Amino acid sequence: MRPTWRELVAVALGGLLGTGARLAIDTLVGQPASTLAINVVGSFALGLLVARLWSSAAPWLRAGLGAGLLGSFTTFSALAVQLVHLGPTWGAALYLLLSIGLGLLAAWAGLRLGSRGVTAIDGGSE
Amino acid sequence: MFVLLAGAGGALVRFGIQRLVTAPWAVLLVNVVGSFIGGVLIGATSGDLQLILLTGFCGGLTTFSSFTVETVQLVLEGRARRALLSVALTLVLGVGAAALGFALT
Repeated sequence: MRPTWRELVAVALGGLLGTGARLAIDTLVGQPASTLAINVVGSFALGLLVARLWSSAAPWLRAGLGAGLLGSFTTFSALAVQLVHLGPTWGAALYLLLSIGLGLLAAWAGLRLGSRGVTAIDGGSE
Repeated sequence: MFVLLAGAGGALVRFGIQRLVTAPWAVLLVNVVGSFIGGVLIGATSGDLQLILLTGFCGGLTTFSSFTVETVQLVLEGRARRALLSVALTLVLGVGAAALGFALT
């Protein structure tokens, strides 16, 4: 499906805000703790939105909040680069395990909480 | 300011790829490519340029929330094997790509 101009503007604005929020938290908290917290919180929030809002929200709103805001707020490259910096250490293994474990748990909790009273969880997370 | 613009640019590229490639492979693709670029950047750049390209563009291009939510959705739809494959490929190829990018610089 070809993106509409409204969707592209929403993704760009969401991308600005999400990147700005991540940058602010990185500055305040410091990596890699900031990245872990951002990825876990963002996973929960996206799960919640997908389950609660996606079936009724306009396409541009889904694009802006999902692909734009939360897509840019959370990051994988920072995690991968930090793991390369840390090297093959127990700290790196723990960081990776916590990111994946807590991230998936948070996404599941968000989807679960958001789908209370909503009949079906469907559609992509985009 | 340039960091935020680069982040928006990365998000637009990711959004475009999500329209062309089905879940969960679109997110796998952007995460592996973004991690490779990130690895190159930590070896080849520093200061403001690294902040703009790594925190901004690569941070915006790659994502974690769609990865986790799509994985859980696959499991809930009974496609656990595909979910497991997606997680394994993301970790091996993603971290491997960052290490390769860093090693090349």
